[in-house]
Amino acid sequence: MRDNRILLKKLLLIACLMFGFAWALIPMYRVICEVTGINRVVKADAAPAAGSSIAPGVPVKLVFDANVQAGLPWQVKPLVRSMMARTGEFVRVDYEITNASNRRVVGQAIPRYLPAAAGPYVHKLDCFCFKEQAFAPGETRRFPVVFVVSRELPAELSELTLAYTVFDVPGKVAS
Amino acid sequence: MNIADGTQVASHIQHDKPRGLARWLFATNHKDIGTLYLWFSFAMFISGGVMALGIRAELFSPGLQFWQPELFNQLTTLHGLVMVFGAIMPAFTGLANWMLPLMIGAPDMAFARMNNWSFWLLPPAALLLMISFWVPGGAAAAGWTLYAPLSTQGGMGTDLTIFAIHILGVSSIMGAINIVVTVLNLRAPGMTLMKMPMFAWASLITAYLIIAVMPVLAGVVTMVLTDRHFGTHFFNAAGGGDPVMYQHIFWFFGHPEVYIMALPAFGIVSQVIPTFARKPLFGYTSMVYATSSIAILSFMVWAHHMFTTGMPATAQLFFMYATMLIAVPTGVKVFNWVATMWEGAMTFETPMLFAIGFVMLFTIGGLSGVILSVAAVDIQLQDTYYVVAHFHYVLVAGALFSLFSAVYYWFPKMTGKMYSEKLGQLHFWWSLVWFNITFFPMHFLGLAGMPRRIPDYALQFTDFNAIASVGAFMFGFGQLIFFYNMVRSIRHGQPAPQKPWEGANTLEWAIATPAPYHSFVVAPQLEVGDNGVILEMKGGEHH
Ligand SMILES: [Cu+2]
Repeated sequence: MRDNRILLKKLLLIACLMFGFAWALIPMYRVICEVTGINRVVKADAAPAAGSSIAPGVPVKLVFDANVQAGLPWQVKPLVRSMMARTGEFVRVDYEITNASNRRVVGQAIPRYLPAAAGPYVHKLDCFCFKEQAFAPGETRRFPVVFVVSRELPAELSELTLAYTVFDVPGKVAS
Repeated sequence: MNIADGTQVASHIQHDKPRGLARWLFATNHKDIGTLYLWFSFAMFISGGVMALGIRAELFSPGLQFWQPELFNQLTTLHGLVMVFGAIMPAFTGLANWMLPLMIGAPDMAFARMNNWSFWLLPPAALLLMISFWVPGGAAAAGWTLYAPLSTQGGMGTDLTIFAIHILGVSSIMGAINIVVTVLNLRAPGMTLMKMPMFAWASLITAYLIIAVMPVLAGVVTMVLTDRHFGTHFFNAAGGGDPVMYQHIFWFFGHPEVYIMALPAFGIVSQVIPTFARKPLFGYTSMVYATSSIAILSFMVWAHHMFTTGMPATAQLFFMYATMLIAVPTGVKVFNWVATMWEGAMTFETPMLFAIGFVMLFTIGGLSGVILSVAAVDIQLQDTYYVVAHFHYVLVAGALFSLFSAVYYWFPKMTGKMYSEKLGQLHFWWSLVWFNITFFPMHFLGLAGMPRRIPDYALQFTDFNAIASVGAFMFGFGQLIFFYNMVRSIRHGQPAPQKPWEGANTLEWAIATPAPYHSFVVAPQLEVGDNGVILEMKGGEHH
């Protein structure tokens, strides 16, 4: 009988500990993910090592483009087709977007980089693609894009293209 | 453990058999409680079955015929919960209650009053689940997994479900503690751990799993409850929580739960097949180790349910290989069962038929499980009918068939009567055929991309769904054969001999039939072979 009671108490203790373990899993997952970095979807930029000299900017050719999927009411065009810039410098380019339909629409622009490997080196500070844009019927608006091409851009990427595709956001009517 | 301890326990047992309602309400006798468990789980099996037929009726043809989508979701949710926690788990606990003391030579379960509690908590929990259909907003509808954020939003039915899970959890933990203490402390002299029946081993390991993971389930649904009512944000992304975290904690419980429903089935089959093959169980020791390693591995594979949540590739690979690893000990078991039958003098009474049906169909379910464990494939098949087919092969043809096998096998010992062999065989072949007609087409539906838990579907899925629905109704009606056979045989069955099966040689067959109300009041002196085979028995009086 005493043996039974001792075992009963031990097993009850295990059950209680496992109940606590369920709650402990919340901070445990957080710590494990932070330490191992296995769940880091968004990576923070590494700070440059102290004292390292900043590499001088190198010239890079930028090409701007835009597409619209067939059947959608948008007209999208960059005001300049291409330009020369230096890495590490601010670049500003303007896009003109027209809603060619006679209804109110909401659009979302998605950027693309060519070659795709150049994507991580383009740091945007401002872009109309950051949020959905509402348009009145027939409205035309100009949007700036401001970005810096990183100084770490590999030398073999001397030319890169920034292209936008604008989509309708279904079910949204601009107010 | 010595005899003196056994008799001390026995002295607490009343010597006369109580009568009427009080016998059941205040039941402390392991046989009475086992009977209560078995009837309760049969009632739950029928309730969950009716819900399943509601689902299959809706899916007979595309479009909405009978239910609104909300009610359909409630039916899938409650079907799962009722079958898992109401039917399968209590049925195994009931069998363990009935048979364990008889198989290891104990006078009763270790804590008779706690045993009463663990049973009588079940009906209120079941009631909570059932009445939740009629509260505002209806029953829980987030699926039996109760994923956040669906479960943090539902109506009052979700709260009732959470309370029901708490109660069911307490009940199964108490039941499990009773099983562990009984198996570890109350074995008769000579019945050593490495000799005792596989059913005792399976029940022991299952009980440990229950004690380890049911509290985790209780914990995670409590977090859902506090998210719903007390302003916490465990799973609310807007408040800094993470809905995927729910899945991680739930499946830490959920995968071992799969083995809570499978290991006792392995134990039953390991008793039935040697009896009807008239050969000792092949590889008893490897069976014990295979069962233990399945239990340990089951704690390391939970995220194979989450391959589409955006896990890093390293984690996907780890969980994929760990899951495949479980196929090894499972394969050892299947091999041992087949090797036991090899060149055995087999006869095919109903328990053996269900056991062989179990081995074949569980293996099919196991193989589709290995396919699902491949992360690249799973991303295609996640939440399709392929998954539904897979787990019904392991739970219906697996757990349920093993339960039928066990009930037919031990029915003479429990009731003192023989069941109708003719009806038993009919029940088996009927169930086997219609089970496959119901669930095999679901593999094709899943491969073609039909999602689960949706009341309507695209037209190209119509034919296979119609076949599955017809199969389900026929399978369901076939279970009335079982019910009729049981009720009729309890009343009018032929008296059963002490040992109705020629090859039966474990301890429960060494005592009178029906098993006396108070068995092994004095512990017997035993000489035991592998898998609980009794070589010699001295003493072991009963009243
Ligand atoms: Cu699993």
